[in-house]
Amino acid sequence: MRMKKTRLLLTTLTGLFLAGLFLAEAAQGQLAVRILSPEPGQPVFGSTDVRVGVQAGVPIDRVEVFVNGKLAGTSKKPPYHVQVDVGEDNIKREFRAVAYSSTGTTGADAVLTQPVTINDEMNLKLRALFVTVMRDGLRALNLGKDDFQVMDNGAPQEIVTFGRDELPLTAVLLLDTSESMQGKRQEAVRRGAKAFLDGMKSSDEAMLALFSDRLLRFTPFSSDKSVLETAIAGTQAAGGTAVNDFLYMSLKLLDARQGQRVVVLFSDGSDVHSVLPASDVLWKSRAGQALIYWIQLGGKHESFTSSWRDFKTNDKEYQDLERTIKESGGRILTIDRLEDLEDAFRNVLKELREQYAVGYYPNNSKGDGKWHKLDIRVKGGGRARTREGYADY
Amino acid sequence: MRVRTEAKFDGGLVAWLAVAVWLSAGLTAWAQPVPGTQGDTAALGLRAGEKLSSGKIQEIYRRVLADWSAGETERAPNELIELEAAVVLDADPTTRKVLLKEEQAVIHQIGAADLEVLVPIAVLHHEAYRRLLQRGFHGHALAMIHTRTMARDLAILYHQQSGSEGASLVSSRLLTSLGGLLQQSAQQYPAADMFQQAVELDPKNVAALLGLATIYEKNAQTESAVKQLRRVLEVEPANVEGRLRLALNLRRQDHGAEAAKLLTDLTAVTEPSWATPLAFQELARLDSDEGKTAEAEKVLRQALKRYPNDLRLHVQLAAVLDRRGKPGEATALVEKALTLPAGEEASARFLYNTVRSDAFAAARTFLAENSRSRLPVLAQALGAPPPAAGTGVGR
Repeated sequence: MRMKKTRLLLTTLTGLFLAGLFLAEAAQGQLAVRILSPEPGQPVFGSTDVRVGVQAGVPIDRVEVFVNGKLAGTSKKPPYHVQVDVGEDNIKREFRAVAYSSTGTTGADAVLTQPVTINDEMNLKLRALFVTVMRDGLRALNLGKDDFQVMDNGAPQEIVTFGRDELPLTAVLLLDTSESMQGKRQEAVRRGAKAFLDGMKSSDEAMLALFSDRLLRFTPFSSDKSVLETAIAGTQAAGGTAVNDFLYMSLKLLDARQGQRVVVLFSDGSDVHSVLPASDVLWKSRAGQALIYWIQLGGKHESFTSSWRDFKTNDKEYQDLERTIKESGGRILTIDRLEDLEDAFRNVLKELREQYAVGYYPNNSKGDGKWHKLDIRVKGGGRARTREGYADY
Repeated sequence: MRVRTEAKFDGGLVAWLAVAVWLSAGLTAWAQPVPGTQGDTAALGLRAGEKLSSGKIQEIYRRVLADWSAGETERAPNELIELEAAVVLDADPTTRKVLLKEEQAVIHQIGAADLEVLVPIAVLHHEAYRRLLQRGFHGHALAMIHTRTMARDLAILYHQQSGSEGASLVSSRLLTSLGGLLQQSAQQYPAADMFQQAVELDPKNVAALLGLATIYEKNAQTESAVKQLRRVLEVEPANVEGRLRLALNLRRQDHGAEAAKLLTDLTAVTEPSWATPLAFQELARLDSDEGKTAEAEKVLRQALKRYPNDLRLHVQLAAVLDRRGKPGEATALVEKALTLPAGEEASARFLYNTVRSDAFAAARTFLAENSRSRLPVLAQALGAPPPAAGTGVGR
């Protein structure tokens, strides 16, 4: 904690010093140019808003922004900023801004950003939220970064990364292939999963896991749709249902991936045979960043008993699973007819594509494992859905 | 005996639906060839609803028994199915009385000579019922109930008339096997009833006691399950399944210490059993639930040394390691789990929650042996030639 406070103080003093220089340059008739964001040393990925401050006694013609020597965009009106996708590589990047006045004078500034290092406490805590915004029953798709406010345990946060449909998607399609799925049901699932895979972009990856009370078949993460489709086609439905165990596995596997991560679970029933309780899956989900969607055939949960759990425990299991999905920012899609399965898979993919990716560094992180409640507010109204919170590990 | 039904079903609704399905199936079955018998060794050529006189029914029944006594183990049960399905119609419950009367008449005639003939006849009906269940005999529900009831009543009659300890053992095993068949077809009430009667005839019948305990357990009647399981262990203290189920039921009753002791002892059992990996899993679960994650980790590491290809143990240990702040090792375990051989066989957790046919194998072998040894008596009572040496009966 002491180290963090020291770092904050230094940052503030450095800022005041630079601001002083900035004003002094402008007073001398030169173009005073400063890159306001990103900040030096900050790790930068994906869609990045490069904001440039210019002080001058003459009109400004334009501000050009370069990333690693390449022109990334031009801004002609204040506030000067350029939205640029810098990609997902974990590397150093040089951002350079050059301002041109109407009289031909120029001014420039450069900022060097750093890759994430494993020991960098702050970088590891970048929270990426995937936000669905509904307005008047439709998804709002024209919002900008400034339209969002992120509240983490009630504290407002600075949004450092922002975008939509830009991050690569990594999905686990977790498909119930228990005995009750034989025949038409399995065929419908195959078509549904294929619909999802067909909608994937070349930069997206998916892994197929076909499970019952055991793991019947899986593929590695792949962009090759033929590999994925072959896996579904060649699997015989058999056995019981162990949702918790394989959902937990899926979340663990997604931990090591980057970008937008999602588990799409399809199951027609409740967990019977897992060794892990749903509370373990909830815990895992809270500590991770993946979304979970559950396409559920048949709808309403019916109380049941088995040799493993009694009525009450099974009911709690179901509630915990529902809670896990809701808290992750995903949702349950209930379908009654097999014919609707393809649309359900397509809708999940569409919804993922239409989510805003909002990244921030929590300014109140303590790493104590405590629950942080999240609240996303949208200017101009609308209902924003994202994960309800996270465990601060 | 009180067994609560699964709450997911409405008992009244299910009963009405069953009646409706039964009636409609019965109507469609009317005047159709008896299904399930074409193309196999049955050759009576009967049709459902065919009018057969009393004398004809008795004649055919005698012929079926004669085939059975002659060691025609494939043909005789199919012939019995054909006869019973032809006479007994779902749409007309009174038809069952007709068949019962004629079959009873034959049994009285031949049983008067030697009571022991009841054993192979009961086993024949048992075998017919097993095949009917296997075929899913739609439209002949009443015939199926009839042949099952015949098997049960003959077993009880044999016990009552004989009064010997041996008769109790035979009858108890026949009821146990019937209970197992009912349990496999998810008919828990009648299965529990069969097991209960089997235990009354032979209080040391472990298969019946376990069957009964399993039904109690599945219906969340933990106290009754514990009672039966303690009886199992009185008879067979080393019974692995009995110890495992008792441990899990005790845990549900918050008797964690006794459960832990049972599970710990089970993890030391060296002979192969589907139940042993579960003992490790549940012991670790018990530790985890009590917040003793270090102990859980130790148990699971020990388990993985013994069962390195058990996917579920990998997943469970990963979850424990995650909680213990070792997410990297947890991820490595999950990734390793994906390299294990794909699950071709049912998992141990599935086996725990299902009716395994091997649970009743000993009872069925015992029945087959007892039936076979009495076939000459049946043949003699029928005036038929005895079976050739080495022919098998039942399964």
